[in-house]
Amino acid sequence: MSDTKTGSTAKVDPKLLEILVCPLTKGPLSYDAAAQELISERAGLAYPIRDGIPIMLVDEARTLDSDNAHPAKLAGH
Amino acid sequence: MDDSDIMTVFDRRAVRRHRDRAAAGFAGFNFLFEEVADRLADRLDDVVREFPVALDLGCHTGELGRVLVGREGAGREGLGRKGIETLVQCDLSPAMLAGAGGLRVAGDEELLPFADHSFDLAISNLSLHWVNDLPGALLQLRRALKPDGMFIGAMLGGETLFELRRCLMEAEMDLTGGVSARISPFAEVKDAGGLLQRAGFSLPVVDSDTLTVTYDSAFKLMADLRGMGETNAGLNRRRQPTPRALLIDAARRYAELYSEPDGRVAATFQVLYLAGWAPHESQQKPLRPGTAQARLADALRTEEKSAGDKAGR
Repeated sequence: MSDTKTGSTAKVDPKLLEILVCPLTKGPLSYDAAAQELISERAGLAYPIRDGIPIMLVDEARTLDSDNAHPAKLAGH
Repeated sequence: MDDSDIMTVFDRRAVRRHRDRAAAGFAGFNFLFEEVADRLADRLDDVVREFPVALDLGCHTGELGRVLVGREGAGREGLGRKGIETLVQCDLSPAMLAGAGGLRVAGDEELLPFADHSFDLAISNLSLHWVNDLPGALLQLRRALKPDGMFIGAMLGGETLFELRRCLMEAEMDLTGGVSARISPFAEVKDAGGLLQRAGFSLPVVDSDTLTVTYDSAFKLMADLRGMGETNAGLNRRRQPTPRALLIDAARRYAELYSEPDGRVAATFQVLYLAGWAPHESQQKPLRPGTAQARLADALRTEEKSAGDKAGR
């Protein structure tokens, strides 16, 4: 795996990845293993994964907009 | 977030804060959650069905999970009660989840993060009474169930803490000449069946239990509620600390009105149990009026007498 910044070794269970959706849009999420984030392109939000636990709370999500690491919003859908 | 919405009764951030704060010491205060977890599991045992993939919504530190899949195996492979192979535990409070095991997700009952048709079973142990939009939450839950999947949830009902509500109200009235909301509004049994139907559940069933818990004093009761993470999170709650004089007077009234012979005071917790199924064609349904294949009079071997009014065709 690539450079994992977080010290946490716990990985998110693949079974969870199959059933999780964005709580706001109910749309699909993409898993960024390096950043330990679940990304909802439609909502423009990245939900953190801490100690293997996805934090699917809008309050805790990072807004994708300005930090252009994921230019997904520009792509349209 | 949306304080202008008149349907918004509870401050969900406060609910989370109370749970986060209570999480570390929760083991000392979770008796009610453990008791109701047992009762939920008993109800589940009566259902002749296996549920390979289950969701515990509002799991706190995993009280129900420990009953259903055991202390060691929570959420891991290995069959639990009712054929549970996978148990996903979800709570609004990440700190509470830290005390649970197995597959965990931090999520809000009002904005569920689960895909449609994910679960065979959804259970909820004393959490849904803090949800603002209960019909919306139940609708999302129903959609997260596979067809013919089952929901069963326990939540606190309208008679809960009626003693404390009365004593605080009367003490505050005496002290300040007015009252403020100090105990949550709870759902009533008579509303719960309609809520399930509105959310699209088939075969809805609602019943209730009353648990009476005794405490040394009303102060001990209030301290316990804090330990349970169940203190007032109403949006209209007073933000100032409750005056000491009010608490002392309320506790005095409580001791006068609700003392047991042994000097302890009683507190009521009413638990509503809501159950329903995600619709499926195999479920029994009432036939349409007028589609009878046989006459009732024949079955009863009697003569049919007109009651004067006919059913519409």
